[in-house]
Amino acid sequence: MNPSLLRSPWPWFSALALALLGVFVVYPLLYIFTASFFGDGGSGWVQLMHDGRSLAAICNTLVLACVVTLCSTLIGVPLAYVSARFRFRGKLLITLLPLITLVIPEVVTAQTWLMILGNNGVITRFLKGHGIFLPSFYGWFGLITSMSFIYYTYVYIGTVAAIGKFDAQLEEAAQSLGTAPVRSRFHVMLPVIRPAILASALLVFTMVVGNFAISTILGHNVPLLSVAIYQAAVAEGASNLTMQSTLASTSVLIVMGLLFVNRRIIARGRYEIVQGRGAKPQPLKGGQGVVVSAAAGFVVAISLLPLLTIAVGAFTLSRGPVMRWGEWTLDNMARVFITAPGPLVNSILYAGIATLISVAFSTLVSYLVVKKPNLVTPLIDYVSAIPLALSGTVLGVGLLASFNGGFLSLTGTSTIIVLAYVIRRMPFGMRNGQAILHNIPNSIEEASISLGSPPFRTFLRVVLPMMLPAVASAAILTWTTTVSELSASLLVYSGGRETLPIQIFRLIDSGLMAYASAYGLVLVAVILLPVVIATTVFKVDLFGSK
Amino acid sequence: MGIAISNLSVRYGAETVISGLSLDIPQGCFFTLLGPSGCGKTTLLRTIAGFAPASGGQIRFGGRDVTELPPHKRAIGMVFQDYALFPDKTVADNVAYGLRARGEKGEGVERKVKAALERVGLGHLLSRHPAALSGGQRQRVALARALVIKPTVLLMDEPLSNLDAKLRVQIRETIIELQREANITTVFVTHDQEEALSMSDLIGVMNKGKVEQLGTPQQIYATPRTGYVADFVGAANRTEVAVRSTSAGIVELEVAGSRLLATDALEGPAEHGILVLRPEDLKISSAPAAGLQSLPAIIRGRQYLGARTSYSVECAGGLALNAELHGAGHDAFLPGASVYLGFDPAAARVIRS
Repeated sequence: MNPSLLRSPWPWFSALALALLGVFVVYPLLYIFTASFFGDGGSGWVQLMHDGRSLAAICNTLVLACVVTLCSTLIGVPLAYVSARFRFRGKLLITLLPLITLVIPEVVTAQTWLMILGNNGVITRFLKGHGIFLPSFYGWFGLITSMSFIYYTYVYIGTVAAIGKFDAQLEEAAQSLGTAPVRSRFHVMLPVIRPAILASALLVFTMVVGNFAISTILGHNVPLLSVAIYQAAVAEGASNLTMQSTLASTSVLIVMGLLFVNRRIIARGRYEIVQGRGAKPQPLKGGQGVVVSAAAGFVVAISLLPLLTIAVGAFTLSRGPVMRWGEWTLDNMARVFITAPGPLVNSILYAGIATLISVAFSTLVSYLVVKKPNLVTPLIDYVSAIPLALSGTVLGVGLLASFNGGFLSLTGTSTIIVLAYVIRRMPFGMRNGQAILHNIPNSIEEASISLGSPPFRTFLRVVLPMMLPAVASAAILTWTTTVSELSASLLVYSGGRETLPIQIFRLIDSGLMAYASAYGLVLVAVILLPVVIATTVFKVDLFGSK
Repeated sequence: MGIAISNLSVRYGAETVISGLSLDIPQGCFFTLLGPSGCGKTTLLRTIAGFAPASGGQIRFGGRDVTELPPHKRAIGMVFQDYALFPDKTVADNVAYGLRARGEKGEGVERKVKAALERVGLGHLLSRHPAALSGGQRQRVALARALVIKPTVLLMDEPLSNLDAKLRVQIRETIIELQREANITTVFVTHDQEEALSMSDLIGVMNKGKVEQLGTPQQIYATPRTGYVADFVGAANRTEVAVRSTSAGIVELEVAGSRLLATDALEGPAEHGILVLRPEDLKISSAPAAGLQSLPAIIRGRQYLGARTSYSVECAGGLALNAELHGAGHDAFLPGASVYLGFDPAAARVIRS
């Protein structure tokens, strides 16, 4: 290496970043991989082959992921098509969908489904009073319903973007060549937007595989992979390191396999669209309009249902697990703020620190990767994407096993919770940071340096201010996702360090829905507040920069 | 301060972009690096600035070795093709940036900024943001920003190529005026021969990481030493010829069966050479012209260009040449016409092949 390069700060930063990633991302992953092969009772993979329940969990997870992916696509694609191509009543509500998924944590969604259709649910009890007995919502039915109505939004968002970019002139060209409109749509548009649909379907698939909150709350008698990992890790008495590592490795391998499929097959099928001109949305009138409005309205209403349910539940009197609907109280809220404010304080503290660290780290590291490439930066880029393949549960298991004693003991500290948050969000922060930096020409920096400003000062004075709007929106997205993080933190937290999602999870487990609703409502408020302030006061464009 | 480059080489990985390049640019000189894209001119400029590290050799500013000095300590002024204004700062803050980086504060900065912007005719736009300026205004701000810090050398990387033709001519004049006024050694990179010829004191024509010819604009245009230079600067007919004899600066040569005389630029004895003829040095007439050597020829094609007409002409023996006529009756000849092509031996040069 050129000696003058070592005098600049960047190679040192790169080395530091790589070291941190090595310790906190690569080491835990390698730890569970090795632990899966060398256990007390021999290789975990051999044990797995003889463990019917674990095999069933893997099988069920794959089946569930397939079904939910299919359902989500069947809801998301038509909804995207009508909202991209037509104007109708209530369309504005549909454009709010991304925001809804952003603000409602999965644990809260699962809770509300239970409050409505669970054993003590509003509808279940109402129908029971009329002599109608619904099948139990626990198990396959509940899993598929609740997951599909969350994850279709990802298909919707991906497809809307693709249809928006689709050049309507291609369709007109097909029609000018003698193809009928409906046929032209299928033959011309579908192949072009198919990669986007497949990519978002794949995203849904990975999210189902990694899903913990809904799986564990609604799964009950259906063994699922992430729940099995969690149970192996926290089993009373002897937690089974070999088995939890083997199951966690299985989850990682499944997701890595999917990412590989995405890169190899789907990404190859992408078409370059030159100078697309999107179609103008056509107004839908009469019967068609009513049908579309009603169908879209139904989907959106179900997405909004959790919010409404916890808002009511938070102020409803309860006796243990029984909700006294119609009788109001402030006791539940008093508990959140006065009697037991710990979770609220912890959540704000941990998520706040994690957001600061995550944004600072990913901004600096994406700067290194994009603007100061050297021998190690491609490696940094690659390693920082690894958490994409780790579900929260897997990450939790990895951190718990790796930093329990040994050269770095973090078990039972707040640090390990913050660490889990930071690692989970890192790939997204990196992607965001790199996207912004690619839009800042090198000459801007060189201009500053040529004017006598040293490289690091240039980064602070010139590059950072230009990145600031996008960094702000990244910070808000990081905040919203870390505040609602459950699966990794549930594994690494210790008594007295409960966060809001953990507290909600424990209350649901005990059947205390009213308290859970109150914590849930406060959680949504904590998530929403920065979003509202940023978009209204500071005019941050949350979705434009992604 | 002058710039002295000795035996400089620059490598990117395994690829050598510049090897063993030496160059002396005297104090106050407007020096242009001219060449097509990929010839290494921008790399050379960036090495002078310090952005591309030298892998060998030396660069000195006025006797001081700056080869190992990081760019922010070289006291350079730099102007970029895409202006590189800081988009979040006002025009005044852009210009003040370099002064503040040098620790200057307060009223002094304001005064210098205002003076610098007034000098480029933008004294009224202090509080604008770059996005609200036209391309020409942006480049003027960039120029003010680079010059206000009184740099030791001014480096410009194709500063005019993002501007439209008329603006280009205007900003050219501004640049020259400011450069003369500050008497600052300037390195200007361009691929545009007209810019190079009209602005420079000295031009270095670059090819494959080497300076192929160094000289004043007149020298470069009138006496190109290689076929590459002849072709890149202005248009030229280049023909492979056999040398018969040379005496007193005149070559007798044979081409397409004809014997002709031309100026000797062979730089030593040779059996073959390249005859370089500028199209505007060729005359077309219906009878052999007095005082010129003439070749019988036929007009093959004709492009009327308003102030001039460009002809493609075929001489006896199949030799194809381009000729350009100016002045009254320049469009008088039609394709198919039998004519005579005449030229002065002083305007025809034979260079080493």
